[in-house]
Amino acid sequence: MILHIYQILGILIGIIAILLSLWRFKDGKMSLGMLLAWILIWAAIIVISVYPESTSLLATITGIGRGLDFILILGLIGSYYLIFKMYNTIENMEHEITLLVRELALQRDETKSKIDKK
Amino acid sequence: MKSTPINDFKAGSDDISASNKNHSKLSSHDIYVIMPAYNESKTIKKVIGKLKEKNFNIIVIDDGSHDETYQIAKESIYNSPNESIYRHVLNRGLGAALRTGIEAAVARNAEIIVTFDADGQHDPEDIIKVSRPIMEGKADFVIGTRDFNEMPLSKKFGNEIMNVITRIFYGIHVDDSQSGLRAFNRKAAGFLDINLRGYGVSSEIIGEIKKHHLKIAEVPIQTIYTDYSMSKGTGLGVGLRILFKLIINTIKRVFL
Repeated sequence: MILHIYQILGILIGIIAILLSLWRFKDGKMSLGMLLAWILIWAAIIVISVYPESTSLLATITGIGRGLDFILILGLIGSYYLIFKMYNTIENMEHEITLLVRELALQRDETKSKIDKK
Repeated sequence: MKSTPINDFKAGSDDISASNKNHSKLSSHDIYVIMPAYNESKTIKKVIGKLKEKNFNIIVIDDGSHDETYQIAKESIYNSPNESIYRHVLNRGLGAALRTGIEAAVARNAEIIVTFDADGQHDPEDIIKVSRPIMEGKADFVIGTRDFNEMPLSKKFGNEIMNVITRIFYGIHVDDSQSGLRAFNRKAAGFLDINLRGYGVSSEIIGEIKKHHLKIAEVPIQTIYTDYSMSKGTGLGVGLRILFKLIINTIKRVFL
């Protein structure tokens, strides 16, 4: 079996990404659930790189037709989902920062008056 | 930046609690003016001075200004139950600043809370004007309406759009949804659940008032236009940003 360049790239990127994920997990920067999810995603990319024909089967099942189209559509939907998730996470963090900043402003005043009364 | 000295805090809140006993006769002592300020070092001293002349209680919220706003305001504000300054360590937007101010005013047993812009565009005389419907029990929330015809075209357009947006998203029409001069009573303050941080908050507040079936009044006010105050506030850019925020929020409410 002769591998094309895109296949080799796919395999390499997949392996590097899995290694990075494991590394981050070891450092405690990633949860176990996220690690498993990412390993699954990247493993799927490696499998598809090695057996590109496998996507044709999925494409036929879903009715999209061509294997490559299936992968592209899946990738796009996945990316949009991630962007949406990130937007929400950032929005939540902004909200929490605001809460902290407001609380800090109000509490500083309280502390001042307490010290003053002593 | 040095932290604020502790000994300039004037003790005793007797005068406030005393004046609160008499609810029917509300005076300027019961009115708390909350003034959010972000990079207003050029105007804030003058504005605070004018408010002090009229004996209003003042709460300044410095929303993480990058200029000398906090230091300058600190010089004119004598920390006491009647005057105080709060500082956000980071800039969190108008909505956040108003919320801090409202909480502080409620903690000080304010009967009437008036929001007032720090850029010098409002006339302190109008504070009494917008508070009157509340004193007379005719309203829970009063908007000081600016005359749109006095505005330059881009501002007029931006404000008109915001009125339409407020109507679409919150189902209520007011003549000036983005006015920085508003008054509300304790009851209304308790209902306000402000989530937006930026300028969109003006519309959100009106939406909250409507949601809780509080009485709204609109009173015409003066606007003092200077080159400085002209460069701030709701232009077209801000309007579009608010629109984007409101759409996203609605999507989130519906789908999440």
